[in-house]
Amino acid sequence: MITFKVAFRNVLRQKRRTLLTMLTMLGGFTLAAISIAWSDGTYNVIIDMFTRAQLGHIQIHGAGYLDRPTLYNTVDDYAGVGERIGSIEGVVGWSPRLYSAGLASVGEKSAGVRIIGIDPVREIRTTRFDRKIISGRSFAQSGSLEAILGKGLAKALKADVGSEVVLVSQGADGSIANDLYEIVGIIDAGDVTSNQTALYLTLGDAQELLVLHGRVHEIVIIAEDLDDVAPLTATIEETIDRPELTVEPWQEFAKSFYNAMKADQRGIWIMVFIIVLLVSVGVLNTVLMTVLERTREYGVLRAMGVRPLQVIRLVVYEVTVMAVVSVVVGTLLSLVINYLLSLHGVPMPTSFTYGGMEFSRMYTEINARSFIIPAVTVVLSAIAVSVFPAIRAARTAPARAMRTH
Amino acid sequence: MEPNNQAGVIIAEAVTKVYSDNGVPVEAVRGIDLTIKHGEFTAIVGPSGSGKTTFLNIVSGLDSVTSGRVWLAGRLLSEMSGRELSDFRRDSIGFIFQAYNLIPVLSVEENIEYIMLLQGVGKSERHRRVGRILEKLGLAEFADRVPVKLSGGQQQRVAVARAMVAEPVLVLADEPTANLDSKTGAGLLDMMRELNQTTGMTFVFSTHDRAIMERATRLVTLKDGRVDNDETRD
Repeated sequence: MITFKVAFRNVLRQKRRTLLTMLTMLGGFTLAAISIAWSDGTYNVIIDMFTRAQLGHIQIHGAGYLDRPTLYNTVDDYAGVGERIGSIEGVVGWSPRLYSAGLASVGEKSAGVRIIGIDPVREIRTTRFDRKIISGRSFAQSGSLEAILGKGLAKALKADVGSEVVLVSQGADGSIANDLYEIVGIIDAGDVTSNQTALYLTLGDAQELLVLHGRVHEIVIIAEDLDDVAPLTATIEETIDRPELTVEPWQEFAKSFYNAMKADQRGIWIMVFIIVLLVSVGVLNTVLMTVLERTREYGVLRAMGVRPLQVIRLVVYEVTVMAVVSVVVGTLLSLVINYLLSLHGVPMPTSFTYGGMEFSRMYTEINARSFIIPAVTVVLSAIAVSVFPAIRAARTAPARAMRTH
Repeated sequence: MEPNNQAGVIIAEAVTKVYSDNGVPVEAVRGIDLTIKHGEFTAIVGPSGSGKTTFLNIVSGLDSVTSGRVWLAGRLLSEMSGRELSDFRRDSIGFIFQAYNLIPVLSVEENIEYIMLLQGVGKSERHRRVGRILEKLGLAEFADRVPVKLSGGQQQRVAVARAMVAEPVLVLADEPTANLDSKTGAGLLDMMRELNQTTGMTFVFSTHDRAIMERATRLVTLKDGRVDNDETRD
């Protein structure tokens, strides 16, 4: 306690030097806290765009469907499953989908397509399907034999709203499935592959075409909060109690996207390295100067019987006090800045649209890690850097030190 | 052969110390045999370079001998580890320095209490001892002041209080009056002599100060690293 008291008061002895050192730590901390919050905010926007607008946060399939998608691996009684999902707190919406491959022809143009059967009402609620339509309209409430094409596919087929498309596929009963549909809308699905291949039908039409009555391949679920996806996945799995189905979060069914995000986020460590450098140089300079100036004092302490470890503690405590105060002030400062940036954001040089959502500003996300990572980094690097001068102080030879002035 | 440790607080036996000054060996102490008895008020005098401070550093364990042996309060210093020496100094020796060397960020009271805190003395005992010595040395009214707000004489009195409060067996004072005017120095010496007489604590001074020499019960004169004269007074 007395060592801490001496250390604390020593911090106030050279006010200007202490202030400059603490400003270095404060600057490093604040810079890092804002950068991490900004990076997390940006990634969350991208993840949200990717999941909310298209894939969903959680998906349910027949076991093994994602590894080997086949027409026959379906979710039966999807309405019953959906009803139970809808009652779970934290679920914003769910939507069933049916998938198959087919050949689409408009006039003399043909192209391979991915047939996607959707429930228009549910799809609008979950993935804002209607906002993605760039030409024409969504499916009519009671509409049938209507199709909506990805914009790339429409271009390849030279189709437009009002054109008719012939669709050929294979039914689940082995029959040749074919029918004629009116194109009622063109969609910008948000990614190149979907735009070039997606052909949407209503779920009823798709089930009729593929002879999969009452069955779907996928149930897409949107969670209220992206951070709650993991516990929500477990809750859904427990609630539906269907062992033949798999319930997976987006990190599983969009693994390559998730891994790419994680890899990109490693850039944070560059920021951490910069803080370590900033803090280390500032602290090392200060502590070395202090130890040099106080050689006589350390010599006296050693002469009076203060152990080397107690001298080390004295020096390290001084640095720790400065680091902790810097972190506390930095937390308050960056909390204010991050809060303002989370409300107002920073305008991007050029805005972009994804899945019907326009992004023109980037926002910070206020989370614990944007404070914890810089705080731990600042305090630990300050302590680490102070250890060498502290050992030097502890090794002060009392007899020689007391001859210095 | 082990000396009779009952005979002295400090027993120095054929002590030598050779320094290396830029590769040139310098013999600072050239074979000192000296026993300082319990309760003595000893002044070690001699011209600059006679080995006074080196000898004091050796007997306090701050410096090592080149040859010879030193017993302090019955312990052979050369047999102690660095940590044992630290603890031994903390518990057995009180230091008074020429430049006072108080801890600048601690108040008078805290400076005096410091060693006892390191020793782990209980709070009530610490306060009792600090209160008593503050009163005895006339420092009670300055208890809350930091050293920089005290005069040189007051600071040296605090240093004396700090050296004595933990009740060491030996108080070593290196030129304690060198930075004080003669009146203040004389007052301080009278105070230390009185403490020596009332507590029986052993004092050893390294000094050039005639006032100390006059008050000392024993005067050891060093010359060229050897004991030139050893005079005991009544």
